[in-house]
Amino acid sequence: MRPPATRHRPALLAVPTALLVALAGCGTPTADGAADAPGDVLVVEHAQGTTEVPRDPQRVVVHDLSVLDTLDALGVEVVGVPDFEAGDALPGYEDVETVGTLHEPDVEAVAALEPDLVVVAARSSTSFDALSEVAPTIDLTVDQADFLPSARERVETLGEIFGLEDEVAERLDAVDALAEETAALAADAGTGLVVMTSAAEVGAYGAGSRFGLVHDELGVAPADPDIPEASHGDVVSFEYLAETDPDHLFVLDRDAIIGEGGTAAAEVLDNPLVARTAAARAGDVHYLDSFAWYIAPSGLTSLETMVGEVHAALA
Amino acid sequence: MTTTSPHDAGPAAPWRAAGLRRAAGSRPAAVAAAALVVAGALASLFLGAADLAPADLLAARSLDDPAVELLLVSRGPRLLALLLAGSAMAVAGLLMMHLTRNRFVSPSTAGTVEWAQLGLLLATLVLGSTGVLERMLVAVVAALAGTALFLRLLRRLVLADTLLVPLVGLMLGAVVSGVTTGIAYRADLLPVLATWTAGDASGIIAGRFELLWLVVVALAVAWWQADRFTVAGLGEGTAVSLGVDHGAVVRVGLVVVAVVTAVVVVVVGAVPFVALVVPNLVTIVVGDDIRRALPVTAAAGAAFVLLCDVVGRVVVHPYEIPVGTVAGVIGGVVFLVVLLRLRGRGVSA
Repeated sequence: MRPPATRHRPALLAVPTALLVALAGCGTPTADGAADAPGDVLVVEHAQGTTEVPRDPQRVVVHDLSVLDTLDALGVEVVGVPDFEAGDALPGYEDVETVGTLHEPDVEAVAALEPDLVVVAARSSTSFDALSEVAPTIDLTVDQADFLPSARERVETLGEIFGLEDEVAERLDAVDALAEETAALAADAGTGLVVMTSAAEVGAYGAGSRFGLVHDELGVAPADPDIPEASHGDVVSFEYLAETDPDHLFVLDRDAIIGEGGTAAAEVLDNPLVARTAAARAGDVHYLDSFAWYIAPSGLTSLETMVGEVHAALA
Repeated sequence: MTTTSPHDAGPAAPWRAAGLRRAAGSRPAAVAAAALVVAGALASLFLGAADLAPADLLAARSLDDPAVELLLVSRGPRLLALLLAGSAMAVAGLLMMHLTRNRFVSPSTAGTVEWAQLGLLLATLVLGSTGVLERMLVAVVAALAGTALFLRLLRRLVLADTLLVPLVGLMLGAVVSGVTTGIAYRADLLPVLATWTAGDASGIIAGRFELLWLVVVALAVAWWQADRFTVAGLGEGTAVSLGVDHGAVVRVGLVVVAVVTAVVVVVVGAVPFVALVVPNLVTIVVGDDIRRALPVTAAAGAAFVLLCDVVGRVVVHPYEIPVGTVAGVIGGVVFLVVLLRLRGRGVSA
């Protein structure tokens, strides 16, 4: 989550950015041009202002798993990642240098890697200022209230930086097309409810929440339109599920991603009250990919997975 | 502890000072507590996310009726779980009060809860999500070891001020809790830990609370040994001179407290203040004879937890505020009031 103060950042950054532009201008006359000359820079707009970033940077440090998911999908190599365990979702990063945790980037470790570009987002966005002192840093936090368009914009920014605009556009267009198709299906699919189970506790999420995509953009009618937009979900009982009686129950099993912590969601939901719901009777209890929905919701493959899952559920 | 400083009046003092008058208050207190339990139980049965009215139950013709199913699967088990957890925690607090001869020592101020949580976390890391019984056993052992450590510490430190005793316990608990959080952070189990630390009854349905029946055994032991606990509460010297094996009584009490705390933490999570506020309130009215105070404490503890849970279910209906959160707020206020009253009256604070 971004601190409220970020609103004022662009103004604050304007002065140093102007200086940077002036300095950069000494070496490269075409600061924002199309030339591919080495040292060519790109002015990138992001959640905390604008930053000058070299085109196709070679030494990239990523602090966010959504961004890493996108870069991984595009075949871009990185030199630093946070210490993470994502199971099978993002394999092959065991030998890459780690630079702190998902929430707390290790600024010294980042500096030691001498990166051309540092990317923060969401959980790591509060370290933007500290990291900006070390290397060109951008914050690709997605606007939750405008999720799909905002996520698209962030992915496009990455495509632009690495000169992969065409591939990115193609894949994002496919996501958009599938989203439209899903929304059309949703019109006749009845109601839906998204819940997350954690250690036998169930939280309900509605429109505007972190899993709001299901309702807001994919058009599934909320089984309970009154759920407040709380990012951590409202604790509910099984009788609430029976009473709300959704036609589609979307389940995120948090314990599945964070290890052996609790009872698996299917076991938690295996009771007479849930069995009574329309969703359970029709076999419409859908278990969602926890990495895509919970860990890296705005990565390119996550977007494909998420929209694809809801589409498959309603088809 | 064998000190007899004026501050160290212990829970026994008010009882001795005003035993008869207090004893007279026992019956009304018991009736009041019982009435609260009944009121709490009715509220707990008929208030919740789904609509359930007594008339629905009367109209039901079979066990498959939705109203009956709701009662048997959700409301009934939840009521039983809260009754068991509330009464057991309150009695555990009553015992701790006597074992340490200090009104402010309870499983939550002696670190017992934190040790149980540490045990639960370690067991989860080693054993995985299966094996609730094994996990609980580890939690019991940890709670037992931690509380024994606390009592040993108390014997070493001769504390002039009664408030220092729970302070030591709170500090010990904070250290243990820090270790637990550190391990959970490392293992990416922080969210799971959060659901354990806040008592929450939303997930309780038939089949997920039955371990709590174990606390009945612990309560029975407490009842059976009640007189010995009362005598132990008079101090080691007095107890020994009355022919009671003080050490043995303390060990029995420790086991009861550790089992109760660990079982409740594993099944429901920590519900703050029950073990601290309820025994204090009850002994103010009823006196410190455990045989007399125990049933009232058990009933009042159950009523307190039931009412907290009902409040948590009603204020954000149909969603819930965990019972532990509500108990923290209400218990905190009640505790402050009790504390100020006690000080005002000059009762050992």
